Amino acid sequence: MAAMSTVQKSGVAALECQDLRVTLVGAAGAVDILRGVDLAVQPGEFVSILGPSGSGKTTLLRVLGGLQSIAGGEARCNGTAVSGPPDGVVTVFQDYSNSLLPWRSVRRNVALGIESNCSKQECRERVEAALAMVNLQASADEYPWRLSGGMQQRVQIARALAMRPSVLLMDEPFGALDAMTKASLQDQLQRVQEATGTTVVFVTHDVEEAVYLSDRVVVLAGKPASVGLSLDVDLGRPRDQITTKERPDYLQLRHQVYAALGHEVPR
Amino acid sequence: MTRALLRRVNVLGLLTLLGFFLLWELLVRTGILRFEYLPAPSGVLTAGADLVSSGELPTNLGHTLEATVAGWLLATVVGVLLGTLMALVRPVWVYSMASIDALRSLPIVAFVPVAVLLLGFTTQMEIVVAFYAAVWPVLLNTVAGLRAVHPRLIEVGRVLRVDGVRELWKLRLPAATPYIVTGMRLGLAVSLVLILVAEMVGNPSGVGFALISASQSLQPEVMFAYIVTVSLSGIVLNALLVGLVSIVFRGQMAAAGEK
Amino acid sequence: MSADAATTPLTPKESAGTTAARAKRRRGGAPLRGLLPLVLGLVLWQVLAPAQSPYFPAPSEWGRALLPLVKDGSLLTAIGWSFLTFVLGLLLATVVGAAIGALIGANRTVDRALGPTLESLRVLPAAALVPLATLVLGYSMQMKLLVVVLPATWPILLSVRTARRSLSPVLMDMSRTLGLGRGERVRKILIPALTPSMLLGIRIAAPLALIITLLVEIVTRINGLGGLLGFAQASFLTAQVYGLLVIAGALGFLVNWAVTHAEHAVSMRMTGGAAD
Repeated sequence: MAAMSTVQKSGVAALECQDLRVTLVGAAGAVDILRGVDLAVQPGEFVSILGPSGSGKTTLLRVLGGLQSIAGGEARCNGTAVSGPPDGVVTVFQDYSNSLLPWRSVRRNVALGIESNCSKQECRERVEAALAMVNLQASADEYPWRLSGGMQQRVQIARALAMRPSVLLMDEPFGALDAMTKASLQDQLQRVQEATGTTVVFVTHDVEEAVYLSDRVVVLAGKPASVGLSLDVDLGRPRDQITTKERPDYLQLRHQVYAALGHEVPR
Repeated sequence: MTRALLRRVNVLGLLTLLGFFLLWELLVRTGILRFEYLPAPSGVLTAGADLVSSGELPTNLGHTLEATVAGWLLATVVGVLLGTLMALVRPVWVYSMASIDALRSLPIVAFVPVAVLLLGFTTQMEIVVAFYAAVWPVLLNTVAGLRAVHPRLIEVGRVLRVDGVRELWKLRLPAATPYIVTGMRLGLAVSLVLILVAEMVGNPSGVGFALISASQSLQPEVMFAYIVTVSLSGIVLNALLVGLVSIVFRGQMAAAGEK
Repeated sequence: MSADAATTPLTPKESAGTTAARAKRRRGGAPLRGLLPLVLGLVLWQVLAPAQSPYFPAPSEWGRALLPLVKDGSLLTAIGWSFLTFVLGLLLATVVGAAIGALIGANRTVDRALGPTLESLRVLPAAALVPLATLVLGYSMQMKLLVVVLPATWPILLSVRTARRSLSPVLMDMSRTLGLGRGERVRKILIPALTPSMLLGIRIAAPLALIITLLVEIVTRINGLGGLLGFAQASFLTAQVYGLLVIAGALGFLVNWAVTHAEHAVSMRMTGGAAD
């Protein structure tokens, strides 16, 4: 909540990278993954990051989330350099099964981040509110491994929401889910974001998903990667799976993103 | 309901076991199987009943089990503490693991004579032996369990600001619990065996000593009775541990497929 | 009984992407620097031990105390007896364990029928059997072997049973369509297919067999290294006890090293390292 108020200061980007360089040590020695990345995410903005596999989308997200150290340039959150997970920034991982504690019920998983610094009463209220946002009240006392993949991912999202984050970093959160589940979670995420005003940075490899959800789509390109395309998505809100995706400007944006990703456009 | 129960109980297997005992009884009675000191199962049963009613068996069994559990509990506490230290503080691991590997390759039974020499024929000696036997599996499984914690879980902890002691208590130790429990179960089994050895060569009390004196007074039925009860106690202790654990750490054990 | 446990910590499942370098480092085990506390402890012991200490004689005394045993050849004889018992016991356990394991792994009904009987044999603590075995079989090699074989059989039996169960039926059908006879099927298909699991069982059974060998010897003082240990303890030859302990440790280390490397070498050849 404290984080919420600091974000509201106008002019300061919620997240910002300047001339960012990241080096990862792999089997073949140190390799530059990202070089010269410039990116600014405004408070309340929904930004998707796209790029071919191995282009460093996840790495960029880990830098913003304070989970990955940088080799050069700058990464700032609300104006201060990132070192370790910044206040008010919470990451949601793709692999929900490894991210949830199998020995805790859904309710206690959601409470994990807040139980130590809230009163019992407040903790309970925040957990209930978070569960309500993702429609999971009915499964609150189940163990996560008894739930479907989509439900498990909702638990992880609820756990992040219970922290009342100012920024939500999501690493291909719906990547492992089937198409139907994915669509319903996308709409749920939209509603939550509208209601809370949370800044979202959303890594995905699904072009339609990126365009459908975002205020802006950023495509990483090159090796080492930098920002190849930054495209504003002026589709207005609310959006829905049928009419929004039939709009000519949606199709036009989708076309542009595919092209930026290097897909041949047939004449 | 009864049919489901019947299917779960291995009737065929139990019948085979019963048949095995009947065959044994028959062979001994008819004198086909002739060892000087092989009693029939019926003889073992009467001997066992006598031992129970005289109070001899409960006293000895109680002594052995008390010493085992005492040493094993101590080993669990020490093993988990040291294992945690070794798994989390890298230099401690680097500067001790090889020593532990070396000590571990000493066959555990060979320590019984040393313990008898140093501590004499005492119950403390037995507890020390049980402790020594159980501490290795607990320690090593704690180390292995903590090192096997998925890195994602630790990242989740960082993201949700669960750090320091809370990280250990809420993430790492619960994740390692199935490993630690396995170590405890192994430790319990080994302690019980080693306690028996200690009682046979050292302390004149408990089941081990009773076995030796029954051997010297040529009472094979008594020995069989003791062997059966000590085996059963091993099973019961293990079952108690598993049952207790699956209640206390319900989520962990079920998630690890141990339920 | 499952003293096998003590020597085989539960290892976490290796992730699929283990690089060769990491595998090598792991096989090497913990860094040798880790021996420092042990060495330091022994040095301190040597320096601080009072002369003629009845409980903690200095390490240099240990060697001296072993000298008479070396001179009259009794140490070598003892090691020979222990080793013979160990090897014969392990061999018998392998034959019995693999045979029963393959049998009950092949047939669910047989498995269910024998299950409780085998299970109740399994829970017998090896130590408790010693006095009984001496009473029935006397202080003999048969007695030693019986006590060693019984517990050492289980790891092999269980490992082979699991492998036999999961053996693809296609493999057996295939051999039948190729017209292989019964004997040939066993020799050319079954035995090679079950060998890795048998070796895995042996790797766990070997240290166990050694421990039980020493256990029988310590309790009965019949012969062997354990017998010497028992005598030294009963005669309060403390330094000799420590010396023999070190020798037992060396033997244990040797056995561990040998079975681990043998198993690895064979499974590498048979599966091209895929099982590793």
